[in-house]
Formats: sequence, structure tokens, C-alpha cells
Amino acid sequence: MAVLVGSDIGGTFTDVVGYDSERATVVYGKRLTNRTDLAESVLSCLAEIDVAPSEIDLLKHGTTHIINTLLERSGARTALVTTTGFRDVLEIGRAGRPVAFRLDYDRPAPLIEREMRFEIDERIGADGSIVVPLDVVALDEIASRLKEAAVESVAVSFLNSFANPEHEMMAVERLRAALPEVYVTAGTELSREWFEYERTSTAAANAYIGPTATRYFDRFQQRLDGEDFTGRFYLMASNGGVLTADQAKRSPIALVESGPIGGCVGAAFFAERLGIESLIAFDMGGTTAKCALVEDGRFGVQPTYYVGGYDYGFPLRTPVLDIVEVGTGGGSIAHVVDERLLVGPRSAGSEPGPVSFRQGGVEPTVTDANVALDRISGNQFLRGALPLDRHGARAALDDRVGRPLGYEASTQTDTVAAGILALANAQMATAIKEITIERGRDVRDFVLFAFGGGGPLHAIDLARELHIPRVVVPPEPGNFSALGMLFSDARLDESFSLRHDLVDDASTRLMEEAEATTRALAKTLAEDFPTATQISEWQAELRFTGQRHSLKVSFSRNDTTDSVRRSFLDEYLRQYGHVDEAAPVEVIGVRVSVAAPTAVPEISEVHRIIGSGSPKPRENREVFSLAAACRMSTPVFSRDELPIGFEFDGPLILEEFGATTVVGPNESIAVGELGEIIVTLKGES
Amino acid sequence: MIDPITAEIVVHAISAIPNLIDKNITKTAFSPLVSEYKDYAVGIVDADGKLITQCKGGIPIFVANALSAAVRDGLEIYGKSGLQTGDIVITNHAGTMGQHLNNVVMYTPIRRSEGDDGLFGFMAIVMHWVDVGGIVVGSCLSNETTDVFQEGIQFHTVKLHSRGEPVEEMYRMITANTRFPHMVLGDLEAQIAGCLHGCTLVDELLDRYGADQVQGAVERYWDQSEAAVKRAIADIPNGTYEASSFLDNDGVHEDETVEVNVAVHVTNEGITVDLSGIGPEGSGPMNAGYEGGAVAASRIACKYFFSPDDPANDGAFRPIKVHCPPGRFLSAGPTAPLSGSGNMLPTVVDTILKALGAAVPEKVPAGHHGTYCLHVITGQLADDGGWFQHMESTIGGWGAWSDHDGVGPFRSIVHGDTMEVPVELQEANHPYRVDWVRLRADSGGAGKHRGGLGIEKCYTMLGPADVTAIIERTKCPPWGLDGGREGETGRIEIHRAGADCSEVLIKGSASLAVGDRALLFSGGGGGHGNPVERLTDSVAEDVRKGYVSRRAALKDYGWTELE
Repeated sequence: MAVLVGSDIGGTFTDVVGYDSERATVVYGKRLTNRTDLAESVLSCLAEIDVAPSEIDLLKHGTTHIINTLLERSGARTALVTTTGFRDVLEIGRAGRPVAFRLDYDRPAPLIEREMRFEIDERIGADGSIVVPLDVVALDEIASRLKEAAVESVAVSFLNSFANPEHEMMAVERLRAALPEVYVTAGTELSREWFEYERTSTAAANAYIGPTATRYFDRFQQRLDGEDFTGRFYLMASNGGVLTADQAKRSPIALVESGPIGGCVGAAFFAERLGIESLIAFDMGGTTAKCALVEDGRFGVQPTYYVGGYDYGFPLRTPVLDIVEVGTGGGSIAHVVDERLLVGPRSAGSEPGPVSFRQGGVEPTVTDANVALDRISGNQFLRGALPLDRHGARAALDDRVGRPLGYEASTQTDTVAAGILALANAQMATAIKEITIERGRDVRDFVLFAFGGGGPLHAIDLARELHIPRVVVPPEPGNFSALGMLFSDARLDESFSLRHDLVDDASTRLMEEAEATTRALAKTLAEDFPTATQISEWQAELRFTGQRHSLKVSFSRNDTTDSVRRSFLDEYLRQYGHVDEAAPVEVIGVRVSVAAPTAVPEISEVHRIIGSGSPKPRENREVFSLAAACRMSTPVFSRDELPIGFEFDGPLILEEFGATTVVGPNESIAVGELGEIIVTLKGES
Repeated sequence: MIDPITAEIVVHAISAIPNLIDKNITKTAFSPLVSEYKDYAVGIVDADGKLITQCKGGIPIFVANALSAAVRDGLEIYGKSGLQTGDIVITNHAGTMGQHLNNVVMYTPIRRSEGDDGLFGFMAIVMHWVDVGGIVVGSCLSNETTDVFQEGIQFHTVKLHSRGEPVEEMYRMITANTRFPHMVLGDLEAQIAGCLHGCTLVDELLDRYGADQVQGAVERYWDQSEAAVKRAIADIPNGTYEASSFLDNDGVHEDETVEVNVAVHVTNEGITVDLSGIGPEGSGPMNAGYEGGAVAASRIACKYFFSPDDPANDGAFRPIKVHCPPGRFLSAGPTAPLSGSGNMLPTVVDTILKALGAAVPEKVPAGHHGTYCLHVITGQLADDGGWFQHMESTIGGWGAWSDHDGVGPFRSIVHGDTMEVPVELQEANHPYRVDWVRLRADSGGAGKHRGGLGIEKCYTMLGPADVTAIIERTKCPPWGLDGGREGETGRIEIHRAGADCSEVLIKGSASLAVGDRALLFSGGGGGHGNPVERLTDSVAEDVRKGYVSRRAALKDYGWTELE
């Protein structure tokens, strides 16, 4: 057997997807995550679906280990070595107060406290010149002090090193030689962009998680080896590509958003195959909803990621898929404060969970509102494994939301529940507007691609709200993050600061820099992925001379200075609606991405359709329609019974393991060639 | 009558609009003041000029009422029917706005039809233009102006666009009256695009829910915000609470301090901030008008206290009354110099909070560094002779609380999410090297809970330049509370290359040559409680980390090495 496996460890569940390429079958497994032994979670999940590690060709693994270590502050004993005069960079940060009117606002404590931050004489100028040479004697003294202090890890970050990393490289080499047991990392190994705080924070975080991440990857590999695993073991990085364990050990921060992006990778793969130019990947789970844009089969990457969020977090310069997240999910609690209805961000999570789960939850959630309106069936949830308490959900809605807002209890329960869903949808619509409007896109030009447990439940009403004409629900929306992982390439990204005017032969210089970086990345990639063909992508970071913010524009070997300039002006106009055609433009950076495809499943084989002919609904249910604002008799189908090519007019409901798709009266569905459900909204073309 | 759930959805949707526009402005603006310093704010006001909602970002000084004040003036001048779709109006009129002339409000009407009833409200954005003329580069960086006419051009409620058509005359006026036309026109474009885009988004909301429903939701929201603020005020016992402090001077008469006596009256109905005890309108630029001064300071202080999380809106302002007769430095006349209009506010806001602290001591920290600690380095670049300007308001320590140490370093209490400009960016653009940016040991006031630390920064010049400082609170240092000590104060020292002595700049300028150094020291926060009561472990930790020197630990905290 030759099995490809995707495994996604989440906070609550561990999901595994196995694709048997010989039999063209897919199996899905789901188990509660074992927080003390993450490898065990994956192995027991594999056992559940009857896949022996020895059968696996390729295991792709997404994990929350990295982000949890950072959030829980459970990393290594770490020191920082930095330029004299700048050891407080890490503590002062950029000194903003994002929560401006909180008198007691404070930034997070630095990962490395002050007495563990060591200064050394050296200085690189803004132009990369060496102003003060590195004091190697002092460095050796620091090394012995680090040894005495029993540090497990060291970050090296020098001012202006983005312009010349020589000193950092020298220091790292010397420290590694002097302290062979210690994890050593340099800022410029992770980011070649300017801004000392962001780069130092990145180096500090990488050093902080390096030792524990290394142990985690090693242990995982050992467990697999112990079960006769002979395949390849890859880790899912936040940029949408996979890394080998060795690469991941060098830069574990590249895995900071390892799990959630699998779904976006899958969305991009489906988009290409289905010929959808622009789609919004919409993933609604238990505690949050996330959305990302996929255009021409590609997703955007944001250069700076904030651990713990922007308001109270710290930055990492590592490529992370460009996702906007909002605290609205199935577990979001609806409650009334001072006569105002709030939905989230407080979540009932999996403990105690929604009222209808009968696990002790007393506060009504978005899921309870869906149950109360019979949008989710009381006895078909997880194929009946979890019978839901519809009565309890309705009572909680009356007691905790209806009455405090002045509604007549019991007769207006539907109105209250529908109102909660409408507010939840409004909040998610704002997130989608944010990701489109901010990037100068018109949301109506997109297809909404919905997955996650709650995605297909809410996507169609959301699309109506946003005037999006088409919604696509892929096969296995409830397992889509793990499934999507199977489609990821191996990928390395690098960006660096570079500054000159975009005139004359500037494009030649851009290309030389991009070529050199591409060669270096390709070499690294080829060491671990020897057989694969590589694909490289270049982007120039440009701005109007004097402007502060920049735009990224793709370029290739065929471009000229003029054509790069043209692309910039067009993109600027597209994003901001106006552009000064005559203004000078400057280059401030280059971003290079090199990808090597890995073995992936045949995409037309991942669905589980068993039906043919003309299937009958399993029941007709009186379901509340948000669009019609009343209950309607609604046929309910089992999704896997609908054959490819099947068409039907709403209202209707599709039920499957882990997800429910709710289609309103003014929509129709068709089952597409890959088993996807295509929902067309009438009157929104 | 709108139902409560639809009302909540409408309020969510309308409140999201200024935040979306806010982010686009950050990206399209040209000047660092806008994109990094976030010296602007976006909001929606109703047809009578009442603030519906304002963006979460932007700096606190604008929560005051800049947008409403501007729109009300426009309504008085044009009448509702004189403001039609596609009109764009700007104003920085000192008599209306009462802040330095760089702060230009722009707004455009949101209309359902042409009549008076068809006016729903306005999309409005206030933005700091980098230069509007006047006697100094940047318009607002003088210590010495003596009337508003020396501080730049005033646009008193004039149309920049009329029914969608640009008024070319106005563009020529603006271009001819700024030292940085490229930057100002770039920022102006961002401001226009934001107004128009926001207008479209509000329009879509009105299409969806109808103007009456939206208005109904807004009225309900105002009432709820008002009730929430009143509930917060009810936690404070009725009474009159007073506090005093003072400013170093008015910029012109160096030795005459300026009083800041504040009284806060708390009743069941609300709160009145009485600023009649503050010093008179000064002859120098450290003045503000009533709206930009007295109202701004009072509302900022009250927002910290009573409604920190909600977007600023008219309802939340209703229970807050301000009393400040004309002729004070926060209610200066229309021709008074006011280019330093923001410089006094950190001290005034801090003093209002101190007064409230008399009622609820556990909710108010000791004094913060309390100054913009503004410094500007300007000069010409060697290669092309172009001008460069580095302007920075300095971060410093904040005051200690009754149960924990002071935070910081942050900018002043009237700044918000304003980012430090990275040293790497400064060095790439300006002919100087920064030799250190570090926490300033012993700058936080000693106390059972220590004040937050200020910083030290060293600029070494690689080319000639002028440095100007506008630093406050050197004579009335950040106060301690309950036995806590004062924080250190700020200054700039000029060290000439090859010379042993140094000169100190507080408010003033100096010319620097290659190799000269400007050493900046910012203030720390005040301490809280008697320092000898500080836990010895905490003192030891401070010493170990270098926040407190060994000497100061022995002297101020009664520490002994053995511990």
C-alpha cells in the first residue's frame, strides 16, 4: 500500500486523513487531542482508521505545539546577544498602545528578561559598512557566562544586520563552537528585512521554542520509526508549504500557524482545478471564523505575524498565510449585557460546550441557535453519536437572551435564535469585508468557499448578506484542514530589504538579487526534495518615493523597469482607486518563493459519494429560514447519496459527518465534478 | 421602533466602517505622521453634527470633538441644503477647532435626497497635515509664535470639491501654502478617498435597512452609551474633587509657571470638569481653543475612566459637562497662538485623573512623564540638498498603581497606538547614528510600587543639523502618590565633539556639527506608597535587572546588600 497522510493537531481534536493511492480511497479519523503526548494523538488516530505507519509513504503534519509553547511561555531558558546600546529593543518594542484608553494597558513581557540580554561591541552602518568590528574576545567571555547560566538557547540579533549579516554569522559560528549543546539562532537567518525590534523579536522567539520543538520533532520521528515507518515526514509551515524536520528544527517559528492553513491550501487546489479565479476561503469552527483570499490559485502571505494578537502580542517576521480571524464560532456564547445582545468572543468551547451537547453548558451558543431553529438535526449530529438537546437549547435562549431583551418567551424563541445567527453573520461579514476592502477588492467578484464545522451552515446567508452570487462547499468540510494539507507543496520563502529608485536598469538589479536568492533556496530545497521540479515566484516590494507603505508586485525574467512600474501603478489603482501616474517609484524589498511539488492525491477521488440516480430526501423538516424569516418545510438529504450532476432547488439541507449545509428558498444547488456542492444565489449575479 | 437585535446588527455594521477606512488611510498616506504616528481619526456624524461613531485607532486627542465641531460650523455656514452629495469641505479654523492649524478636518455629506430631510449625516476625517505654512518648518514646532497668523494658513470651512468636481482654486491655494506640497497632496488624496469610500459604505447600509431604522439604532446606541457612562459615574461618591499641578511656562516667559487647578464635580446626573482654575491664555503657542483644549482634555480623561472600550460617540459624552470660561490657556481666543495646542494636554488629563483619584484612589496611578517631550532634527542632506526632518515625541515612564508598578515606556496619555520609528529606518534616512536606546535606570519614582522607567537615547551627527526641543514637566515632575516619590524629568544634553562640557535644552534649539551628540533623557512615572515598604525581593530584582541602581536601592529603598 502507498498511503499519503495528513494530520492536523488542534486544540480540541486531532484529525487524520489517509489517502490510499492504489485503491483511490480516502479515510478520515478524528479523536480528542492528547495534550501531553501529541505524537500519540496522531498514532492512535491512525490506528482508528486502520493505517499502519509502515504503509505510509508520506506523512504531513500540522501542529499547535509551536504557538502553544509561545502562548503558554513554556519554552527554553534563553539568552540574547545584541549590539551595545540596544539590549532593551526587545523590552521597549515599538511602544504603541493599541488599546489606547485602558489606563493600565501594558505590553507583554519580553521572552528574554533583561539580565539574560547581553551586549557586545560591534556596529554595522545603515549602508552595511562595518563601523565597529565584532569584539570576539568579549564574545568568548559571553559564551562562558552563558554556560555558567546554563542557558539552553541563544538568539543573536545585531542592529543593521539586514544590510550586512557578516557579524551575526561570525557570532553564531563562534557560539555554536563554544556551546555545542546549546540551540543558537540569528535574526538574519530568519529575516533579512529591516526593523530591529521585529527581527530581534523573531530571533528571540525562534530561540525560545527551538529546543522544545527539536525534542518534539525528534520524538515524533522516533515514535514513527518504532512502528516501522519508512516514509517521509514533513511539517506544515505557516506559508502553506511543507518543511522537512531538519528545516523545521532550524526555524520552528515557520510553523507558528501550522494547523489552520491546511484548509486554505486545499481551497487553492480546488480553485485551480475548478477554474475559479477569485475565492474567499471561509473556515468556521468552534471558537473562531477565519477567511483568506485565494486569487489565481494563490493565497497571500503576510510578512508580520503577532503571537497572541496585535493588541497584546509580539511580532514575528515569518511568512504566514494572510488570514483575518474573528471570534465568532459555533461555540460563541450569546448573552445580554446592559440590554445589548453580544455574540462571542466568549466561547463555550468543547468544555462545557453548547447547551444542546448536554455536557454542562448553560449559556446558549450559536450552535444552540442553529439547533433551536432545526437547522442542525437533533439526532443526526456526528451521525447520531451525539444526540442534541433541542428543548434545553430553546429554554436557554428564552432565559438568557429573549427575556432580558424584552421578548415574549417561548412564542418568540425562533425570532431570538434567528437574531443571534444574524448578528453572528454580521460579525463574520465584517471580517470578510475587512479582507476584501482593505485589499481593494470587490467582495461580489468572489466565490465563497466554505468549510469547517460551521462554514456550510452559515456561508449561504453570509453570501446573501455580502451579495456574493456563488458558494462552493468542498467534500469533507469538517475535515478539510487535514485534507487540504495533503495538497501542499514543499515551499521556502525569503524576503529582504533592498532600496533603490525604480528607474533605468533597476529591473536588472532586481532580477540579479532574485536570481541569487532563488539559487540559494533551490539548493536548500533540492537537498531534501531531490526529485521534484521547482517553481519559483518573485515579488518586488514597491512604493511611491516618500510614501510609507508598500505594495507587492510579481515580476519575472521577462520584465523591464517600465513593465514593473506599470504593474505597480495598476495594482495601486486597483487597491486604492486612484493613482498618480507621474510619481517616482522606489524598490524597498524583494520576496522570493521557491516551491517543489510533493505527491498529492487525485483530487477527484477525495469525495465519498456513494449515491446514483435520483436520491430521495431522508426527511422533510420544518426549518427556520433566515431569508424568509419563517419556518418552511425543508427536504433533508444525506450528502453522500447525491451523485455528481445532481441538481435541486432550495430550501434544502445536506447532512454529512461533521457538517451541515443549509440552503435557503432562493438558492439552488448542483453537485460538481469533484463532489463539491455549488450553491447559486438567485438575484446576486 | 427598531427591534433590539436589528439595532445591534446596524450598530455593529456602522461602527465597522470607520475602522475599515482607518486601515486604508494608514496604507495610502505619504507622511510618517499619518502612517506611523496615526495623527488622524475617522468618524461618522449625524445631520446635526452629533458623533455617531469613531474609529478605534487614531490618537486620543481626536476623540474630543474635532469632527462634530467642524461639521457644526459647516452647517451654520452652508445650512443643510448647501451641503450636497459630492461636496467635500475642509476646515482648520482656529476659532472653531481650537487646535494647531495642521489638524484639518474634511467631511462629505451622506444623503438620501437633496432636501433638508434627505441629509443623513457626514463621513468625516481629521488629519495632521505636515505643513500649512507659518514661520517654522512643520508649522507647529515653534516655541515662540505670538499669534495664530504666524502659524500658517487657515481654511475656514471651504469646499475642496463641489458636487463631485474638484475646486481647482483650492488646490492651488493649498499647494502654494505648504513647504511639502507633494506630501500634503498625497495625504489629502488619502483623506478624500477615505471620505468618499466611507460615504459609499454608509449608503449601502442605508439602502439595506432604511435611514429611519439606522437612525433609530443610532439613537438607541447613544442612550445605551449614556446609561453605561452614568453607571460608571455612579461608582464614584458624589462630591467635588480637586487637584493641582503646573506647567513649566508658556514658551515665551521662561520663568513663569502656569497653573493647572482642576475641580471635578460628581452628582447623580453626571460629571462636570471645572477648568476655570487653570492659567490664562499665554502669549506663546502653548494655548488651545475651547473645543480643542478644555473639551478635549476633559473628554479624554473621562473616556479613560468611564468608557475605555466603546468607540467614542455623542451618547457617551452627554453626562460629561465642561466648564472653562474664555481666556484660559485651554479656551484661548480665535487669534491666540496655538501651534503647541497639544503640549499641555498630558498634564491636564493627568491632573483631572488625579482629582478623580481623591474619590477612588485604587483606580488612579501616580503621575506619568506627562509631556510630548518633542524633539525635531532637521537639516539638509549632503547628496541632493533636500531637506530631512526627524520628529519624535518621546516615550517615558507611567505612574505606579496602589497594587503594581508603573508601565512603560510609552508616549504620553494623549497618544495612542503610535509606533516608535525603528532606528534602522532613522539611520537609513537621516545623517546621524543612534548609539543607544535604553531604559533609564532610577528614572521611575521610588515607591512600594515603582514608577515606570523613561529612556535614554543618543544621536551622533554624521552631518550638520538643527535640533529643537519642546519638553514640559521639568519643574512639576511626575508626582508620586501615598508616599511614593516623584519620577525623573526629561531633558536633552548637547555634547560638542571634543568638548568636555554640555548644554541642556528644554525648550529651545541648537545647531549641531558633525560628531556632536544630542543625548535625550525622558522622564519616569511617579511611585506609589512608601519605598521602604517595597518587597526586598522586588528591590533585589530591580537591581539585578538594572532598573534601579545599587546606590539608589540603598538610598531610596533602605536596601542592604545582605538581603
